[in-house]
Amino acid sequence: MSIWPDEKVLTPGEAEFDTVDMTINIGPQHPATHGVFRMILRVDGEVVVDCEPYIGYLHRGLEKLTEANDYRQAMGYWDRTDYLAGMACEHAYVMAVEALAQIDVPERAEYIRVIMAELSRINSHFLFLGAFGADVGSFGTSFIYAWRERERIYDLFEEVAGDRMFPTYMRVGGVAMDLPDNFEQRCRWLLGSIRQGIEDLDGLLTGNEIFVERCRNLAPMTSERAIALGITGPILRSTGLPWDLRKAEPYSVYDRMKFDIPWRPDLQGDVFDRFWMRLSEMYQSARIIEQCLEQMPKGGLVLNPDLPKTLRVDNGEAYIRYEGTKGEYGVYAMSKGGNKPYRMKLRSPSFCNLSALREMVIGSYVADAIIILGSLDIVLGEVDK
Amino acid sequence: MSNKAPARSGGLPPAARQRPRADLAALVRKIGSIPFEVSETRTDVDVRIAPEHLLALVDALHNRHELAFDYLRNISGVDQSPEGMELKYHFYSFKTGYSLQVTVPTATGHPHVPSLTGHYPAADWHEREAAEMFGFVFDGHPNLRNLLLEEDIHIHPLLKAHPLQAAEILQGIESGPPGFTI
Repeated sequence: MSIWPDEKVLTPGEAEFDTVDMTINIGPQHPATHGVFRMILRVDGEVVVDCEPYIGYLHRGLEKLTEANDYRQAMGYWDRTDYLAGMACEHAYVMAVEALAQIDVPERAEYIRVIMAELSRINSHFLFLGAFGADVGSFGTSFIYAWRERERIYDLFEEVAGDRMFPTYMRVGGVAMDLPDNFEQRCRWLLGSIRQGIEDLDGLLTGNEIFVERCRNLAPMTSERAIALGITGPILRSTGLPWDLRKAEPYSVYDRMKFDIPWRPDLQGDVFDRFWMRLSEMYQSARIIEQCLEQMPKGGLVLNPDLPKTLRVDNGEAYIRYEGTKGEYGVYAMSKGGNKPYRMKLRSPSFCNLSALREMVIGSYVADAIIILGSLDIVLGEVDK
Repeated sequence: MSNKAPARSGGLPPAARQRPRADLAALVRKIGSIPFEVSETRTDVDVRIAPEHLLALVDALHNRHELAFDYLRNISGVDQSPEGMELKYHFYSFKTGYSLQVTVPTATGHPHVPSLTGHYPAADWHEREAAEMFGFVFDGHPNLRNLLLEEDIHIHPLLKAHPLQAAEILQGIESGPPGFTI
């Protein structure tokens, strides 16, 4: 019905006319792409009909550089892959070298590594919560909430390792140095602060009906499709499949930890579930750190004392899978003798999760495509290597 | 709603836990009819197979219910010069919990391997990466353009013959080793 009585009302058939698809370029310099990522959307009105992601703007030749440096030197490049969780990347790298060279790690060092890796996971998920809130429209507030806790985690990293984002703290056979004297007390205080921070963000975002309505039922995914596309980590778990490498193939001391994989009967792998999964995982990481603080030997070595000055590794190959903050962080390592790796390949979880972007955004609105990209929680340092 | 991490009773289904490697080696040997060798790496069972038999093997790995490898983890190229190049595929099965590595050696000068994008959509970007970094040709891949490197550049940086300072050579800041051309 027209509001003008004299106007002829067009029937649906008469109202149709030919439209031309429009091409929109987003990125590489665009705040919503979380780094230097570019995607070209073909849109029919508001609806995305095709999407072509372009990556590689941050390609630094990680694998080539690793081949050119010895095992000790190359580690510095690896915490620059997932730069939000440098400690976790280092942990995966040293695990790969230790598997190749068959090196033992002192027990205390294993606990320290797990504490650092889980703090990194919390740190990375905090960034996701903050940035994702900003993507959806809570401009600034969620960011600042998240930054408060991240700053405290980085302060602790600085005290332990001497650096914040790129600590280079792990060593093949242990960690670089023992924890500072007051670490346990500081860490417990930090965990309380982290729990408060998660609750604040939970209240700000999950308690906001607009946020929840934006995210619910957006780009849902089944477990089977997620597996076929190579998706791992919180996104796979949000489809209802409780698969976590820390439980499925436990490494380090994770087999001694009691923690749960968050699960709800109505998980459907949509954007809200991905958000919920990361939020819930952070409580579990805090639980793991508390158990580590209790179980950890109070003294002793933190670095294997039998290591040679120059590490030479016999022929061999290994594929290490590590539950990184974004999914399965795999390191394929091959040695042919000598003090340098012959080949080191990073199976980057962000890279594999991002390859599913095209399928997820087709059929959604342009504004939702940005949220779907945000919900993948990519780190371009890891995508581009 | 509360986000206080409700747990699923019992945690993971038992199949999603790691299974012994010896069982898997025996199961893989049963495939028969295709020539391949089974060995072990530090972490996985390894199957070495020629590229012309790869699709038949992957069919069996993907479809046999006792193997059911539904997840392609990773594809890595390795330059084994002077013997040619190799591809390392890593598979995992969410149904049985097995983990497997498949090695595909290619002859020098003929780096052709069938694409696995038909079986595993996840292979798409992995194969594009191996193609640009090593010069592999994945027959049947729908879109083998450069992924991480520039679209119009045709170098294979992860080959052992490729010098580390190639960016400087490309920009004319440094001269390359004798005989090196891009």
